[in-house]
Amino acid sequence: MKRLTLTALMVGFGLLVASPDIAAGQSKAPPGGAYKAVSSLVPLPDFLPGLGTLYVDPATLPAGPFLAYDHQGKLVSSIYMVPLKDMNAHKAFSDLKVAHERVDHVDIVYNAGHPGVAEPHYHFIVWYVSAQRAAQLVK
Amino acid sequence: MTGPSRREFVKAGGFAIVGLALLPNRRLFSAPAVEVIEMRSDALGSKVWFDPIGLYVEPGTTVRWMVKENVHTTTAYHPRNDHHPLRIPEGAVPWDSGYLVRPGAHFDVKLTVPGVYDYYCVPHEAAGMVGRIVVGKPLGPGAEPFDYWLGKPGTSDWHHVPGAARSAFPSVRRIMAEHRVHPT
Repeated sequence: MKRLTLTALMVGFGLLVASPDIAAGQSKAPPGGAYKAVSSLVPLPDFLPGLGTLYVDPATLPAGPFLAYDHQGKLVSSIYMVPLKDMNAHKAFSDLKVAHERVDHVDIVYNAGHPGVAEPHYHFIVWYVSAQRAAQLVK
Repeated sequence: MTGPSRREFVKAGGFAIVGLALLPNRRLFSAPAVEVIEMRSDALGSKVWFDPIGLYVEPGTTVRWMVKENVHTTTAYHPRNDHHPLRIPEGAVPWDSGYLVRPGAHFDVKLTVPGVYDYYCVPHEAAGMVGRIVVGKPLGPGAEPFDYWLGKPGTSDWHHVPGAARSAFPSVRRIMAEHRVHPT
């Protein structure tokens, strides 16, 4: 399936997610506040290969952001999950939170569905680590 | 083989030994046939599928769905499963594995009632992750067109089979001819 690494879209996507900020202190897992481990909310493994350990504020579902952490508990990405049906309906998602981290690149990846977002959707992954480091999140 | 099918399920591989120990002794020696259907996904979770997607078995065969990647369910098309349309033989017991989360997790169903059995994966049905089994003869609701039930009493709350799923099912005719149909 198509996998688009669209560093060139960083600026445009940045406009989409420009405010408000994810609170400081969420650069290390667990993020606290209203964020819950995704594996405590739906039947998914604690660590998702390719993404990491995910946390989300359930009130923000399905878009998120989902905060993804590596095995050392470092924030590696913010993920926004947008159902295809919402995109086809031209639904807007505004005022999505973003982390106070330097963005390295953005992946936009189709996903067929999973518990929590059980329908085809896109993952908009704002990476705070290099593509090389992201590729190490395989298990 | 007109009675309801007997369902046997084992969600995790570790429970397999326990399940085996509970079987009557005669079955330890008769070694019933087990057909395995893999529950697959690419690394990104973009493409998901059952393999084989179409299968012919004799009545009495146990079918085992086993997770290879990602998180899946095997769930019969039946009104008891979230108002899905009836697409297994009348008299057969519907199944729903629940989420099988880890690779190697599996779920067994013994199919005794002849006919066509259609099933889906809960999080991936809309993406077309479905499968079809023919047990003995191509009979029953699963052999009917997808919307055969429209206008019939008691079906007003049934959901339609999504378009991606409709186009993914192998035909009954092809399953009868090839016995094992792999996704393309």
